[in-house]
Amino acid sequence: MEAPIYYSKSEFIETDTGNKVSRRATIAGPQNIILGGKTVISTGAIIRGDLRRTGPGHAVVISLGRYCLVGEGCVMRPPYKTYRGNFNYYPMKIGDHVHIGANSVVEAATIGNHVEIGKNCVIGKFTIIKDCAKIADNTVIPPNTVIPALSHFAGSPGRYVEDMPESTMEVVEARTKGYYRRFMPFEGR
Amino acid sequence: MPPIRDKYTIHSKAVVCQDVELKGDITIGSGTIVHPKATIFAIAGPIVIGSNNIIEEGAIIVNRQARKEVMRIGDDNLFEIGCRVESPSVGNFNTVSTRARVHHTVRLASFCVVGAGCLVVPTEDEVLDDYTVIYGPAAERRKWTGRGKVQEADLRRKHAEYLREMLPKFNRLRRGDGT
Repeated sequence: MEAPIYYSKSEFIETDTGNKVSRRATIAGPQNIILGGKTVISTGAIIRGDLRRTGPGHAVVISLGRYCLVGEGCVMRPPYKTYRGNFNYYPMKIGDHVHIGANSVVEAATIGNHVEIGKNCVIGKFTIIKDCAKIADNTVIPPNTVIPALSHFAGSPGRYVEDMPESTMEVVEARTKGYYRRFMPFEGR
Repeated sequence: MPPIRDKYTIHSKAVVCQDVELKGDITIGSGTIVHPKATIFAIAGPIVIGSNNIIEEGAIIVNRQARKEVMRIGDDNLFEIGCRVESPSVGNFNTVSTRARVHHTVRLASFCVVGAGCLVVPTEDEVLDDYTVIYGPAAERRKWTGRGKVQEADLRRKHAEYLREMLPKFNRLRRGDGT
């Protein structure tokens, strides 16, 4: 097993389903956010659950799957547009085993399962990222892009580079699970 | 250097979240929205922000020129997530996109767009004309024909209207000194 990643116990709140949320993350409108379980939200992340769709009833703004990681200083906010003359924010759905690197800004509409997003990326509004895709560090994805399954995107503006190997799903799954296992509280001596 | 005196004048119709870092002499006009985690630093001189601007989370607005001028920001501008603006004057209806950086040597006229992640850092003083668009990794420039201007203005207006209604429901707001 690789070296554990320690965090100070007082900094993170752990839920019954194993989500670990930093106290130093900014989470607006938590009642509109769903975490799937075993998801880590790092220090300095900003998650905007307050930008909800208008209309009656309960609105889910951001849903994250299992074994996700929201890196340090990440900003996650739902995308907005006007549709038939009405302005609205639209919900953001993120699958399982998704890692988002530090300081990335994500305004995607949908992100599939087993997706890796690097550091310092800008993911434009209403982007759709399919399963097992990979976004390299420092990539800028323009709004309304669709990133197909098993593709590797990089650059500014983000362009297709190559196909990901067929084993991506297993590799990413093992890595995200491994990360969660290694992410443990520091026991003071 | 004398210590910076804090003086915030926030219009009663502006929406400024509690979790915003302010420093120095700042005036915020009516209908302007400042999201949580934004930063406005009036270090060298005061900052005057007009009406109906939207300043998103992580945006940094700094006045730090040597001449101690007032930094003036017009109306209906949009400063997106994590952008940094130091320009001494900003006109109306500009968009500074996510992670863009505008240096203190640049003045923005009106209807300019600075694309995502662009750096605008000329060594000489410069004024960006109306309708200038800066885009791409090399910060290339071209002119906007003005097509879709009405639609864009409409979107901006509705966005601000929506935020003015929704933000106070979930965030605590900050009031000015004089209320």
